[in-house]
Amino acid sequence: MSWHLTPAQVDEYVSSTVDDVTAMSVEAHLMHCPPCRSLVPADEAWLADSWADLRDIVDRPRVGLLERALTALGLRQTTARLLTATPQLYRAWLVATVVVLAAALLSAHHLPRGSLLFAFTAPVVPLVGVAVAYGRGVDPAHTLTSVTPLAGQRLLFLRSCAVLVPALVMCTAAALLMPSPTTLWNAGFWLLPSLTLVAGSLVLSRWMHLSAAGAAVGGLWVLAMVLFAATDQISVLELFAPVSQLWWAAALAALVGAIVLRVRPA
Amino acid sequence: MSAPATATAPVHARGLVRRYGSRNALDGVDLDLGAGVTGLLGRNGAGKTTLLRSLATDLDVSAGRLRVLGRDPGDAAERTEIRRRLGYLPQSPEFYPHFTAFALLDYVAVLKELGGRRARHDEIRRSLDRVGLTARRHTRVRRLSGGMRQRLALAAALMGDPELLLLDEPTIGLDPEQRILFRNLVSELAVRSTVVLSTHQIEDVSALCQRVVCLDRGRVVFDGTPATLIGRARGHVWEQTGRPRDGVTTWRLADGRYRVLTTERNDPAPPGDRSAVEPTLEDAYLLLTGVERSAR
Repeated sequence: MSWHLTPAQVDEYVSSTVDDVTAMSVEAHLMHCPPCRSLVPADEAWLADSWADLRDIVDRPRVGLLERALTALGLRQTTARLLTATPQLYRAWLVATVVVLAAALLSAHHLPRGSLLFAFTAPVVPLVGVAVAYGRGVDPAHTLTSVTPLAGQRLLFLRSCAVLVPALVMCTAAALLMPSPTTLWNAGFWLLPSLTLVAGSLVLSRWMHLSAAGAAVGGLWVLAMVLFAATDQISVLELFAPVSQLWWAAALAALVGAIVLRVRPA
Repeated sequence: MSAPATATAPVHARGLVRRYGSRNALDGVDLDLGAGVTGLLGRNGAGKTTLLRSLATDLDVSAGRLRVLGRDPGDAAERTEIRRRLGYLPQSPEFYPHFTAFALLDYVAVLKELGGRRARHDEIRRSLDRVGLTARRHTRVRRLSGGMRQRLALAAALMGDPELLLLDEPTIGLDPEQRILFRNLVSELAVRSTVVLSTHQIEDVSALCQRVVCLDRGRVVFDGTPATLIGRARGHVWEQTGRPRDGVTTWRLADGRYRVLTTERNDPAPPGDRSAVEPTLEDAYLLLTGVERSAR
């Protein structure tokens, strides 16, 4: 290096009174000249902050499309992270749901009284999804996270939402493809029973594992279907009739009330 | 060391019972734990993990009074408050294998409600550094060795500087160097936190714990300092050349002699080539639990 910065140039550069062209020249020189660089005081706080920012960008876990979409929709970043962090918990279930609904649709189109299979299946699909969404035995990292402040009821309901939304969308889409539909209202005959079953399992999960609660509620549903099918006087479809829908709505309201009361103190 | 016998101690338990069917995994446990490291010893099935899970709010107790960090784990709101100040390393922790180490800790940190993103990430880096996993932060969990996974679980427990740290078999899978690192780490934490360490590694207890609690069939059978426990065994430990015919526990040493633990105190004039030796903490523990086995 044949030349060095003069004290005047250093002063002007440090006090930001130097013109742009000279500033660029000074910076190019500083890159290669340790003696001159030592004359320029470093802003340690700025440097530390910049390094921390850089480190954070390098270390930050990759944000997936779904997480970005949820954040864009107004969800808090932490909630979006919790909702999307464990897709492998749902992947197998989502595939199974598609297969089951496709089978139900095929039978509805090609078998006599095949619609009954769909009427039986649609309310159970979200229930199964919720049952495998949270808890010891179904969540690989449950032991590591079970005693964190957000674990328990709050995580359970978050995960339930993560399962319910795609389940309801898929069931609605399948219902619209039924042979005798149909308005959106007619296609939603299974919705209230389904939500009631899910809410029932969530309430029951206070006293037993969620998967056991789901099995218990699902068992009751199967029993009801079998009993109705075995009786000549009442059709299974009565379970979905307008009057029955009122009963489902009342039961759902009561169960949701119980859930809200339970979650609020936490 | 005397226990702080007050309901304001970080851990205060009276008559704790936990039933599994007709069996009591905890059968009337009384315990007060203050700052420092307490070692929890006992055979398999003695109730150590059940006690730790109860303290960690992971398990409800069937009867008795339990206060953790001054709060009632049976109350939902207070349980959440306890969890904000708690670190828990479970026995045999499991993970999401496709997560990187950093992403897994980020997920746990969100569940621990650790600040905004930048503060959370700083805390994750600090925890990874403490357990020596900084260089592996972008490695997927499935590619980490067993010891590394154990350290990752420890890092998860350490995040947020918990006031109460519950460690269930923390040194399983760690090599000797990592165990030294672990001991140094726990010693530093114990200056300001209450640490409960459940383990079968007696040397960890010897190296770390100011206090030892021994459980047997769900009951506390000893609660005191390691020195007191060793003192109880003094006069009950022999070494001899021939195969012993008595003793609670005997085993063959590398030099061919036998070490014998007996419930009877040493005879001042021992027969034959029998000689009294200074007991270790392991001798004292084996005598206390009365294990009837003979390692040959």
